[in-house]
Formats: sequence, C-alpha cells, structure tokens
Amino acid sequence: MSAVISQTELRRLVDGWIGQGVQVAGPRQVKPDHVLYALLNESGQLAMDGFVRPANSIKEFVYPRHEKLYGYRLNEKEIELTDVELPAKPQVVLAARPCDAAALPILDPLFNWDFQDDFYNRRRELTTVVTLACNNHDAHCFCTAVGLAPDAERGSDAMLFDLGDGSYEVRCLTDKGRKLFDGKTQSSDKVGQAKAAPKKTIDLEKIRSFINGDFESPYWQELTLRCLGCGSCAFTCPTCHCFDIVDEGNAAGGERVRNWDACQFCLFTKHASGHNPRTAQGQRQRQRVTHKFGIYPDKFGDILCTGCGNCTRNCPVSLGIFPVLDSIQKVETGAVEAA
Amino acid sequence: MNIYKPDLMDVLEVNQHTADIKSVKIAFKDKSKQQDFAFRVGQFGIFSAFGYGESTFNICSSSTWKDYAEFCFRRTGKVTEALWRIEPGDTIGFRGPYGNHYPTDEWEGKNLIFIGGGIAMPPIRCAIWYALENREKYGRITIVYGARTVGDLVYRDELDKWAGYKDVKVIRCVDPGGETPDWDGEVGFVPAVLEKASVPADNSVALVIGPPIMIKFSLPVLSKMGLADKDIYTSLENRMKCGVGKCGRCNAGPVYVCKEGPVFNLEQLKRLPEDY
Ligand SMILES: Cc1cc2nc3c(=O)[nH]c(=O)nc-3n(C[C@H](O)[C@H](O)[C@H](O)COP(=O)(O)OP(=O)(O)OC[C@H]3O[C@@H](n4cnc5c(N)ncnc54)[C@H](O)[C@@H]3O)c2cc1C
Ligand code: SF4
Ligand code: SF4
Ligand code: FES
Repeated sequence: MSAVISQTELRRLVDGWIGQGVQVAGPRQVKPDHVLYALLNESGQLAMDGFVRPANSIKEFVYPRHEKLYGYRLNEKEIELTDVELPAKPQVVLAARPCDAAALPILDPLFNWDFQDDFYNRRRELTTVVTLACNNHDAHCFCTAVGLAPDAERGSDAMLFDLGDGSYEVRCLTDKGRKLFDGKTQSSDKVGQAKAAPKKTIDLEKIRSFINGDFESPYWQELTLRCLGCGSCAFTCPTCHCFDIVDEGNAAGGERVRNWDACQFCLFTKHASGHNPRTAQGQRQRQRVTHKFGIYPDKFGDILCTGCGNCTRNCPVSLGIFPVLDSIQKVETGAVEAA
Repeated sequence: MNIYKPDLMDVLEVNQHTADIKSVKIAFKDKSKQQDFAFRVGQFGIFSAFGYGESTFNICSSSTWKDYAEFCFRRTGKVTEALWRIEPGDTIGFRGPYGNHYPTDEWEGKNLIFIGGGIAMPPIRCAIWYALENREKYGRITIVYGARTVGDLVYRDELDKWAGYKDVKVIRCVDPGGETPDWDGEVGFVPAVLEKASVPADNSVALVIGPPIMIKFSLPVLSKMGLADKDIYTSLENRMKCGVGKCGRCNAGPVYVCKEGPVFNLEQLKRLPEDY
C-alpha cells in the first residue's frame, strides 16, 4: 500500500502551511522558460512539471546568498554590537530535486567541524525538504555518476512521485516529513517510480588519479581555457559554499554580512602583498575540481557534487564541472594528446 | 554562539614602527575575558575595524603576557587603512585565537634560529619573547632580521634588548642600498647574510617567516647548515575570511590553513602542492 495525495490537495496543503506562517519555497516560473526555487506566496505559484530543474539550488534557503551576521553602532567612541535574531519560522522546501536535497547532508559537516555555524544549523533544523523524484533529465544531469539517482532519498524528509494522474505518491522518510503529511494522504495501491536515469558516467578513480597527480599539469589550463571566471557555476551549485565577510554601512553604524563568493574569481586568493597563489583560471578550475572530488571527500566523506548539471547549464561557455571531468578522463585514458 | 561575532577590545597603545607599519596593544573590554584569554604563540586572530571589515594578523605578543595582546600590521588596503587611524581609547573587534601554534614544547632543549624579513617580524617576535621568558628551556638563540631599508625595520628597540640577553645573537641586515651612514648592521639579503654568519646549527630548529622569495632562498641555506626539514618551520599567509574552516578561501591543496595551519614545518610543506 502507498500513500497518495492529489495535486489539488497538495496545493491546498501548501496554502494551509503558508496560512499558518510557514515559509514555503519551491520551483516557481519567474519568467517564461525560467524556473527558480523561490518563496511562494500562494500555491498557484508552485511549478511542478514542464521543466528539468530550477536554475538555482535550494541551498539559499539554509545558507542565504546574503546574510547579516550582526550589527554594529558607534556612539562617541563606544561600539555596540547587536545580535541578529536567528530565524524562527519553520520552512518547507517543496518539490526540491534529489540532487538539491542531497547537498544539505553533504554540507552539514563543513558547517560543524569544531566551530558550529548557528545560522546554518538553525535554518537546517527549521527546514523540511520535500523532494519530487525526477520525471525527466537533460543532457547535463549526471546524478547517477556520483552515487545518486532520480529517486535518491538522501537529504529528503519526504519524497513525492508523480503518478501521472494528477496525484503523487508520498513517501515520508523522517519525522519532519511525517509531520507534514500524516493524515493528509489517501491509501492506494499505486506506487510511484522515478523515470529513466541519466546515463553519463565518470570514472572516479581516474579523476582521483589525475588530481592526485601533477598539480602543475598543463592540462588544467588547457581543459579550462574558455572559462571566463564568472562564478555562475558556483552560485547555482547546490554544494558550493564559499563566502566573503564584509561590512555594509559606515563607521557610524551598519552591519557585518556574509555574501556568497566563488573560487573562480581572480581576486579570491590574492594576498595583500600582491602575491596570488592562483593567478590563472586553470589553477582556479583545478581548485574547484580538486576541492569537490578530492579534498572534500577526504575531509568530510562525501564528493562535493550531486551531479545536478547546473554549473554547465548556467555556464555562458558551456563548461562547468562535467565537461572538465570528462576531459580529465580522456587525458587519463590517453585519448588526448600530451599538452 | 555566533562564531563570527568578535569580542570588543580597548585600544591601549599604538606604536608606529615605519612609514607603513604600526603595532597595537589591546585588551578585552570584559576584564574577566582578558584574565582568561589563553593562546599559544604562532596563533592568529581576526581583527575588525567596524565599518571597514576584518583582517587577519598574527598575535605578536607572548602568550606569557596577561594584561594585553598585541598585533602589528602593515597599511596596505581597506581595513588596514582604517586601523591606521585608531588611537588609544578606541574600540576594535577581535576573534580568535585561531589556528595551530609553534611547537614550543617540542623545541625545548634546542637551539633556536629565528629568521625574519620585513613585516614578518611580528609573528616571530612572539616566539622570541616566549623563549626569552622561558630562557632555561632553550639553548642558544640566533635572530637574523632583515628589511629593505633601515627605516623598514620593526621593533628596532627590542632587537637591542634581545641582544642583551645571555647566549642571544642578533644579526640585523638591510638590502644593499637600504643602509644609512650610521648603520652598523649587515648589508645584504637575508639568505646571503644567514649563510655568511655561519650560525652553528647543531641541535637546532629554525623559524623562517618573510616574503616568499626570502623563504625560498633561505631554505637551501638552512639545509646546507644541516637542519632537517622537520626542524625548519614557517607560517603561511593564505588569504582568509572566516578563520574557522567554513569560507573555503584559505586552503593550500588539502589543508585548510586557518585550522590546520598556519604553522608548518618544511617536511609538511613539501607534501603540499604549491597553492600558497
Ligand atoms: C595567518 C595570517 C597572518 C597574518 N599576519 C599578519 C600580520 O601579523 N601583520 C600584517 O600586517 N599582515 C598580516 N597578514 C596579512 C593581512 O591579513 C593582510 O595584509 C590584511 O588582511 C590586508 O587587509 P586590508 O583590508 O587592509 O587589505 P585589502 O583591502 O583586502 O587589500 C589588500 C591588497 O589586496 C589587493 N586588492 C584588494 N582588492 C583589490 C581589487 N579589487 N583589485 C586588485 N587588487 C585588490 C591590493 O593589492 C591590496 O593591497 C596575515 C595574513 C594571514 C592569513
Ligand atoms: S566554468 Fe563557466 S560558469 Fe564557471 S566560472 Fe567558468 S565560465 Fe563561469
Ligand atoms: S559542481 Fe555542478 S553538477 Fe556538481 S553539484 Fe555543483 S552545480 Fe551540480
Ligand atoms: S579562512 Fe575560511 S576556511 Fe580558512
């Protein structure tokens, strides 16, 4: 037996949550042909199908692009620091893709090794992730190559499967998920199933051997020559998490904030002395790939990539991570001439 | 707890060393925090000029000093420009101490060789004072300190004080052309001066901090003197923002310099890719 909810009932539920003060986010068509995860004012804004995946990721609902860390005020010579109230509103992220949901447990250890980031942790606690198993994929998806799948449950509190008849099977995976759907579903004998999985593959061993090999390999530069260093890949990536800390305001008062940042920017690692360990774009791409497929798994146990393909979809020159990984495999198998 | 929120510190004293270097003594506004403040030499802090931002500096006072902490900075950009204007009585922010530290326990019973260039004196100075205040634990101390010109030497008064301690040798040098008529120190680049000085290197450890070029050319000299890689230490200065292993800015290959560094010995450094 399965638990099923109709599309209409689901939307009614969403409006109910919003009415109770729950913050609800989900895919929303913001422009023709442009779907983003965004806050919803009412369930009619929720886009459930007709696209592969939103152009952004759900990370911004636990780790916002721009976040106030505290305020400061200057009276005479006295500085006063004011705390930011941590969010208190429960939040539901609805119809997330499995490749978005999986990013959260992958990021948890980063925000908690030794120093615990309360901003992240609080939002994480307040958030229930309801995933929609994927019905379709495009040429950029490669979740299966990094151990995930169109119905991978990691990071989801509940998962919906489109039954194709205007209803969804609901699988509750955690207490948070059960709390949302208990008593709201009908029992049925229909069982949902994810549709065909992406076929792209990566030989992770080869990637490992390349990134553990020659750090100065000229291939880094060669394979990523067309990268513009714009950072779109990092900003739309569910797992990229670098940030900058800056002051907004003036010496009389203002706030200290953190903003997303990206290792693809040329000033990212520039020392005050003018020295920069990564002066070339190839070195910055090396950082992105090595961090995701070597450094992060070694430190925190997971590949820092869910195969969502966003970095390529959003790249002005169709680069992003998969094409680089693919080229690396070719280099490793000798299919590419020596640089 | 908000790990990004600094403590407020009173500025007690500001000293100008060169045209663009100042040192600042600070103490926690919260007196009990000052009493409890513990760190190890070699650690760093993240210092705030409110309205301008944060900057990373070594804590350059000795961990044995309880009344204040000190940092020394070169004016070079937005935050350091703002810090340049602070006066006693002003308030700044401090987060830390962060990072690992010099293994001063392992160094006990050894001769110490300190080699610094320019603004790199502060991170060495804390270790020098620490060793001098625990004089019985360490053997001979040799300090080689160089700057571009005489006017660029920092903590000059302390160089004289250190030279007055038993079994301490201080070698000062300036780059060729940087000397003044009354300069009585050496003239030459640090690596060359170090080589010429024929410092005895038996049972020794060395701490070398300075511009990359100085470090690069000093290392072979130290090796030639007979120091093993594991006995040569330095401190990396990868750009940092959070200091707590989150912001992703400071890694040198697999290590997060803010948490696993900034202090490395040459053996460890040689295993790292050149990403610093
Ligand atoms: C562990 C560690 C310890 C350190 N210890 C010390 C210490 O004890 N003393 C010390 O003086 N320093 C120390 N530093 C270096 C110090 O952190 C920097 O000098 C300081 O943060 C500079 O801050 P700033 O805001 O003044 O400079 P910024 O405004 O950030 O600018 C610094 C430099 O970056 C470049 N830059 C910035 N923005 C741009 C741009 N848009 N385009 C081109 N170039 C740009 C410029 O060359 C500028 O000179 C340490 C660093 C580390 C990581
Ligand atoms: S890979 Fe593409 S999206 Fe990423 S920085 Fe380069 S050009 Fe921009
Ligand atoms: S690196 Fe690219 S494919 Fe991997 S999670 Fe980030 S955006 Fe998705
Ligand atoms: S300074 Fe942020 S991770 Fe090291």
